Amino acid sequence: MTYVLAIPALPALAFAVLAPLSRATRNRLVPLAVAAAGGSLLLSIAAFAAVWPGGYAEEPAYHASFVLARIGETALSLGFQLEPASAVMLLVVTVVGLAVQVYSLGYMHREDRIGWYYAVLSLFTAAMLALVLSDNFLGLFMSWEIMGLCSFLLIGFWHEQEAPRQASMKAFLTTRVGDIGFMLGLAVMFAEVGAFDFATVLYAHEWSAEAATTVALLLLFGAMGKSAQFPLHVWLPDAMAGPTPASALIHAATMVAAGVFLVVRAFPVFEASGVALTVTLVVGLATAILAGLLAAVQHDIKKVLAYSTVSQLGFMFIALGAGNATAGLYHLVTHAYFKSLLFLGAGVIIHAAHTQDMRQMGGLAKRLPTTSIAFGAGALALAGIVPFSGFWSKDEILTVLYHEHQYVALGFALVAVFVTAFYVARLWFRVFTGPTQQAELREGHRSMLVPMVALAAITAVIGFFGPVLGDYLGYKIPWPDPLLAGTSTAVAVAGMVLGWFVYGRTTQVVNTRALKQRYANVYGVLANKLYLDLTYEHFLVRPYIAATHALGRFDAHVVDGAVNGAAKLWVRMSDAGRAFDVTVIDGLVNGTAAVVKAAGARVRALQSGRVRGYQTLVAGAVVLLVIFILVKGA
Amino acid sequence: MQFPLLTLIVFLPLLGAVAVALLGDKRASAVRMTAMVVAVVDLALVALLVAGFDTSAGMQFAEKVPWVPQVGITYHLSVDGMSLSMLLLSALLTVLAIVASWRTEKKPALWFSMLLLLEVGMNGVFVAMDFVLFYVFWELVLVPMYFLIGTWGGPRREYAAIKFFLYTLLGSVFMLVGIIALYLQTGTFDMLVMAEAGGLPANFQWWVFAAFFLGFAVKVPVFPLHTWLPDAHVEAPTAASVLLAGILLKMGSYGFLRISLPILPDAAREWSGFIAALAAVSIVYGAALAFAQTDMKKLVAYSSVSHMGFVMLGIASLTPAGLNGAVAVMFSHGVVTGMLFFLVGMVYERTHTRTISEVSGLSSKVPVAAGLLAFASFASLGLPGLSGFVGEFLSLLGAWSSHLWPGWVIISAAGVLLAAAYMLWLVQRVVLGTPSEAVAPIGDLTRTEVAVLMPLVALTLIVGVYWDSLLRFTDGPVQTILALMGGI
Amino acid sequence: MAVGLTHLLVLAALLFSIGLYGALSRRNAVHVLMSLELMANAVNINLVALSRFLTPVSMDGQIFAVFSMVVSAAEIGLGLALVLAIYRSRRSVELDAVQELRG
Repeated sequence: MTYVLAIPALPALAFAVLAPLSRATRNRLVPLAVAAAGGSLLLSIAAFAAVWPGGYAEEPAYHASFVLARIGETALSLGFQLEPASAVMLLVVTVVGLAVQVYSLGYMHREDRIGWYYAVLSLFTAAMLALVLSDNFLGLFMSWEIMGLCSFLLIGFWHEQEAPRQASMKAFLTTRVGDIGFMLGLAVMFAEVGAFDFATVLYAHEWSAEAATTVALLLLFGAMGKSAQFPLHVWLPDAMAGPTPASALIHAATMVAAGVFLVVRAFPVFEASGVALTVTLVVGLATAILAGLLAAVQHDIKKVLAYSTVSQLGFMFIALGAGNATAGLYHLVTHAYFKSLLFLGAGVIIHAAHTQDMRQMGGLAKRLPTTSIAFGAGALALAGIVPFSGFWSKDEILTVLYHEHQYVALGFALVAVFVTAFYVARLWFRVFTGPTQQAELREGHRSMLVPMVALAAITAVIGFFGPVLGDYLGYKIPWPDPLLAGTSTAVAVAGMVLGWFVYGRTTQVVNTRALKQRYANVYGVLANKLYLDLTYEHFLVRPYIAATHALGRFDAHVVDGAVNGAAKLWVRMSDAGRAFDVTVIDGLVNGTAAVVKAAGARVRALQSGRVRGYQTLVAGAVVLLVIFILVKGA
Repeated sequence: MQFPLLTLIVFLPLLGAVAVALLGDKRASAVRMTAMVVAVVDLALVALLVAGFDTSAGMQFAEKVPWVPQVGITYHLSVDGMSLSMLLLSALLTVLAIVASWRTEKKPALWFSMLLLLEVGMNGVFVAMDFVLFYVFWELVLVPMYFLIGTWGGPRREYAAIKFFLYTLLGSVFMLVGIIALYLQTGTFDMLVMAEAGGLPANFQWWVFAAFFLGFAVKVPVFPLHTWLPDAHVEAPTAASVLLAGILLKMGSYGFLRISLPILPDAAREWSGFIAALAAVSIVYGAALAFAQTDMKKLVAYSSVSHMGFVMLGIASLTPAGLNGAVAVMFSHGVVTGMLFFLVGMVYERTHTRTISEVSGLSSKVPVAAGLLAFASFASLGLPGLSGFVGEFLSLLGAWSSHLWPGWVIISAAGVLLAAAYMLWLVQRVVLGTPSEAVAPIGDLTRTEVAVLMPLVALTLIVGVYWDSLLRFTDGPVQTILALMGGI
Repeated sequence: MAVGLTHLLVLAALLFSIGLYGALSRRNAVHVLMSLELMANAVNINLVALSRFLTPVSMDGQIFAVFSMVVSAAEIGLGLALVLAIYRSRRSVELDAVQELRG
């Protein structure tokens, strides 16, 4: 089963081939990247089948480990393991990955850097696949960071413009705030366990509640950065400055879900802690509701979807916090499909309408029939309407809360469901109904429509396989409880009706000015994104920049000033010393020299410069010496 | 007696330096070729050494001959894995520096002979196991570097050269005092003998450690003894910057690992908290200052202060992971910062400015240069899969599992974020965006320039992907040091 | 009559004296050099003679004499070179005319 290793290796290879080439060659070799993604998909299907029928197993179906380094007795290894959870994730990543790559052929075909785009996309896919296959936290972290790099590169793809440049940096730095937590978590883990691999850390080690809490909270902080959880979510909406298909893959389906996946992987530590689970639940609830509210006031279609992603990730955290990793994973899977579908649809819409502002759209359903049907499936899934995928997984989360007797949390979650349905309806009626505002509207290219239809099909049917998926993951996912399912559907429908009430009733262009004025306070807070960005800007970023400049002056004047001051002091002292030198010390030296000079004047007469004179002198001296020896010897 | 490979490696460049000086400025092409051949042969010899090195054994290729037997000074050269990694870096960077400065027109004979003379000192420091010999090489390094900065440097070169020379000389004078004190106490100048014997009185150790600390900390440099570094880097010509950051800084941290820790273990434990504090401050302070710079070279210079802080943090941890991390950062910093200085120099040659605000949009004008600059930046900010991550991660890992106050580790970890901030800001302004006026007319890197950078790119990737390629050399010495310290 | 040690020593002393006289009295640099050579050879004779008669077994003196001859050959070469140099610069080899080292 070594072919499992080829799943991440194929896209990695595509990157390695494409990256060093010239731009023109790279652009020609784009099919290579698509082929690699396709190959990964086929192999993933094989891997998924190989693990069938899944269920709980002591040992992973496939396990390979490579020693990265040895420190004394400790070996740090990088390994890959295939078990049900990673097999499911493989399918999610490769399906969405291939869909996005095919879609991008149409969406990005006019870009002159399309080769680079595909190279980075491939590297990203490789990193994400390595992440889900990783058998240890170190390898997970390493691929995690490489995904961060890809995210940076893709958000800033149109780097000639200011906004994508800023957004890419914001995304990288904000997630890196979380990564500090992750890194420290790894450090604590290493100090506590002395290893990073799941088998040792999760199962062989006896966690004390205190250590488990520390590690779990640090890892959670890392996950909050990557999965854009409140209050570290600020980067994700800005990240929409990147190409839309990249947003679909990275900022909707896969990378942002990596945080959830991390918590799923580290779940035994979270369970050992208890406290960490509660924190996760609170974070998830806050994120789900707040991001949902924020989505309801955005005008940019991509930003609505971005906040929606944040909110849905919050739902996954709720499931994790309630103590059920499988429910979280389930929602991750369904969300990956329907949210990437929505993003791809948004891409078609943006291409057609030449704007991202929903206020300038309307009546697109008639002009873009295929897109509107596919998008509709995704939207209903997002709103949680039966039988689309989102309904099943969301319902599973609510069921978990109900069974764990987390009634308060359940109440909040239902609020989030309501808000979600509202903004979905708002988006739908704004964009697809009402009067058309553009003259020319064209349906997307076939390469863009095919992936969307495929994803829509998955969205429509995957919910019926929930119990099967549950068995595969080794956990029972029951059919929805009628009472709970009825309640949540009622709430969702209520939200959608409210949305229709505000945005869908009229045949005119919707105007909400009166509404905004009536709720000016609430609207102000939401429109300003809870003032979080401003807070960070004014209380963290700007003070830091000011501090660096102040430190620069401190360095030049105080630290370096001390050095130069010492040097100057030394020069002064040596000036004073010189005065002493000239009068006293030099006086002595010169006096001695004068004596020698006077003596020399006498002796110089002997120095005639004539060779024969010297010879005579030498001969005479020898004669005298001989005489002296003879006399003395006698 | 075996073949004196180490002597050859150390003194071959000396022969080369003399030959180059004798050839004179008029025969510039012969001078270049000679220097190149000597440096390449030296690198080949080091490669031979690496090939013949046994990672499971300790000190190897020893050459021990009495030198001044009356006072017990021996000519003692030897390598372990730690020395070897530094030796390789020194030989490699010298070759690259020679290639990169191929077109030096001002006094080429003196330039190349100074580069080779510098290599003598650098190689010598890492293999000398006798204090007197060590000190000779240590001081020998200052002279060529003084001339390299003072003759070929920027407008304020004389100030920078003298500052560099005096500052580090001042430090090493304290080191000399320490050496003499050790000799008077033990009666030998042999480091290894001294480390084996141990048993120095704690109070004595404390003072000697202080003396060595001043000598080494200036070289590293540790906050607040770092201010010579930015000046020296800004004024130094590219090749000198590369060697200064790549090798000379490592001499300080190497001194800690080779001398301070094994010979003065009790003092090292006592000082470790203080060193960790300085390390954490250096990391954050260097990163903050790097962020504030408007000159690319100064930015890289301050980033060195930050990175060397991770070396000191790893050393202070006194754990296997930490010490391995320290050596890994030393190696990686040599490679990556060398790459950054080369690239900044190459950009400067074309645009005639190093001011960040005047250079932008390299990626659309010169994609190769821009790509490599971005690559080096990401390596520098510690992206996993590239070499920078290995050492910084292990340093943090070691520091956390050590006796050090966790606060210093957390502050240091924040340095990882700040590193991303200054490096990305550089990338964003210089690499990305639309081409500025200064960038508009320039051409991309030549093949020679790419050839200079490729070995460094390769090393960055190899070490980053397969940590053991480096750590297999460093782990043995690290375990030896800790064993000599009596275990932690 | 066999030649004894005394004969040889006397010969050497005579030779030395002649050399000394020549070195002191001649102004011509070439003559001075020749006289110096005479003195050196007197010493060589002494070396050989003393070695032959006092320590017949060892050959120290003879070896030393050979060395001495080699050295004086080199020395005379150098001396002649100097003389030539002097001649070139002042068209004369009169030693008394060379007084640059006068104090």
